[in-house]
Amino acid sequence: MKFGIFYEISVPRPWGRETEKTVYDNCLEQVALADSLGFDSVWAVEHHFLEEYSHCPAPELFLTACAMRTKKMRVGHGIVVCVPEFNHPIKIAERTAVLDILSGGRLEVGTGRSATWTELGGFRANPDETKKTWDEFVHCLPKMWTQERFSYQGRSWSMPTRTIVPKPYQKPHPPMWVAVTSPGTEIDAAERGMGSLGLTFGGFAEQEEKVKRYRKIIRNCDPVGEFINESVSTVNFLYCHEDDAEGVKVGKRLTGVFNYLAAQLLAAREAYPTKSYPSLGLLPSLRRDAAGPGDESGAPEGIAMGNPARITRELKKWEAVGVDRVNFLLNALETVPQEKVLESLRLFAKEVMPHFQGSTDTAAVAAGGR
Amino acid sequence: MPPRFGTLNTNAWSEWVSTIDGYKTEELTLKGANILELHIEIDDDPADALIPKTMHPAIPAYAIFNVVSYPDSPWGAFAVAELRVAGRTGVRPRGFVLASICNNEDAGKALASRWGYPIKQGEVKLELRHDRIVGRASLEGRPVLECELLDRDAISGGDIQYIASMHLARNKGDGKLVVVQVDPEFTFSKGERGKSRVALLDTDAFHCGSSLRLANPISASFAVADVSLPKIRYICNPDVPAMQGTTKVAA
Repeated sequence: MKFGIFYEISVPRPWGRETEKTVYDNCLEQVALADSLGFDSVWAVEHHFLEEYSHCPAPELFLTACAMRTKKMRVGHGIVVCVPEFNHPIKIAERTAVLDILSGGRLEVGTGRSATWTELGGFRANPDETKKTWDEFVHCLPKMWTQERFSYQGRSWSMPTRTIVPKPYQKPHPPMWVAVTSPGTEIDAAERGMGSLGLTFGGFAEQEEKVKRYRKIIRNCDPVGEFINESVSTVNFLYCHEDDAEGVKVGKRLTGVFNYLAAQLLAAREAYPTKSYPSLGLLPSLRRDAAGPGDESGAPEGIAMGNPARITRELKKWEAVGVDRVNFLLNALETVPQEKVLESLRLFAKEVMPHFQGSTDTAAVAAGGR
Repeated sequence: MPPRFGTLNTNAWSEWVSTIDGYKTEELTLKGANILELHIEIDDDPADALIPKTMHPAIPAYAIFNVVSYPDSPWGAFAVAELRVAGRTGVRPRGFVLASICNNEDAGKALASRWGYPIKQGEVKLELRHDRIVGRASLEGRPVLECELLDRDAISGGDIQYIASMHLARNKGDGKLVVVQVDPEFTFSKGERGKSRVALLDTDAFHCGSSLRLANPISASFAVADVSLPKIRYICNPDVPAMQGTTKVAA
């Protein structure tokens, strides 16, 4: 199992001149440390207008900064919005290629379609169309990355023959993923040979079913790219502390703040009745699973909070249901002081990572690092 | 908690509220209701003054227009038109009701005294045409609302989500102002969606004056559903955030 870190970049009010910069600086410091500790990847969302919850509208810039500060970590779009009102597909192909070059071939491309009216309405995008445009985009991107000349006449966009340059550093192209929040999207991922980038916390039973379904379908997939990216990742919170009670207490505060913020957003389905969004997106499952009843300590099942032993135990369960990678949210609204976040990362690398084969070959060394 | 809060002056607003006769209301199911609902974005900043401090504004702010016709009830057929401003109580989506206009005096009294609806007596009509569905309301013969669903398109009732209402009311027992949460259950038998259009809105009739400025139409829906008006389970102190000021009054 591999471990990554995942950024929404939430910024508390009041938004003074330095607030945004401090939060971004803190994230970059965490990324640099995580790289030295052997974390596998850093992911950043693309969100717009989601005040306080996420101030990350330009993930390609943040990820470029991450790539410049790291040596080994892969940098991942988690996700780039494949809706033409948000991003033109040519620009996606070009930007991702440049980022792949600048990072020395460390890019992962997560794709998705946005789940809030706050964003869709802001760009005047039609919620009925987003699944369709996403599908067009993910079929085009690998060709735009690999064919010297490309033209396209499609439903939501078209272009005459042009040479899209540059091409990605990775050959044939970077791995592709799909954000999985709505039920059944893991099937979309499998049928297209793409990785399943889980963005809900989901219970073990639900996740196990999804993983089984995904792995069964991907065997007979028709890949959109030139290779199959059979991978299942999920997202989690992380707060690791020597003292279990303290770890759970701070972890619960972190999840509570994050879930409270997430609940303030206007889900697409809430404002605009449509079968295109069969669930409310990530928000209800975030609340259900990360604020669940938990055990006697109060720690919700499956969430990486508490001491190293507890976190190891919970992550072993994720491993057992077939998850390949867990990406951690480290903070929300700067609820956890920066030094505590860094300590949590160090402790996790030193005490938890060594229990997982493939998590890193440098964890033991790096844990004593910065 | 950092998110913004509503800034409604509840004492000034209390002029418009109903008196609720305690919180022992029994559930009531109304069969075959015809429900028109419009969602329209409104200007954020002034709209904060249209929800109490117990709520957070929605992001973005939006108004909900409802015109509902009930073909049968203990008080006979009746219809209600109301205007709500969407928000959150804690983590739950809710709509704060600015005013409800009811065309049946007995039904209006029951809705006010049992669930705290801020009722005004008036005329309400829901008109189903092939190209649109039109909801109208008037007070003393003066039109105050005309709203429409245009370009009717069938969808599943399961795709429609209604949010619960919050009614500012005065409790008869102790005379205190409370926000009463009313979260009906819906059993859908038909659903439609279309574009929303407000042809006429007298904001003074809904006590919001220039604080409510319509901006960006989102959607309109129409449904036929059985509506179960619930027992009252939660009330809130209007001037305290819901996380601190919510009281459970029934299981």
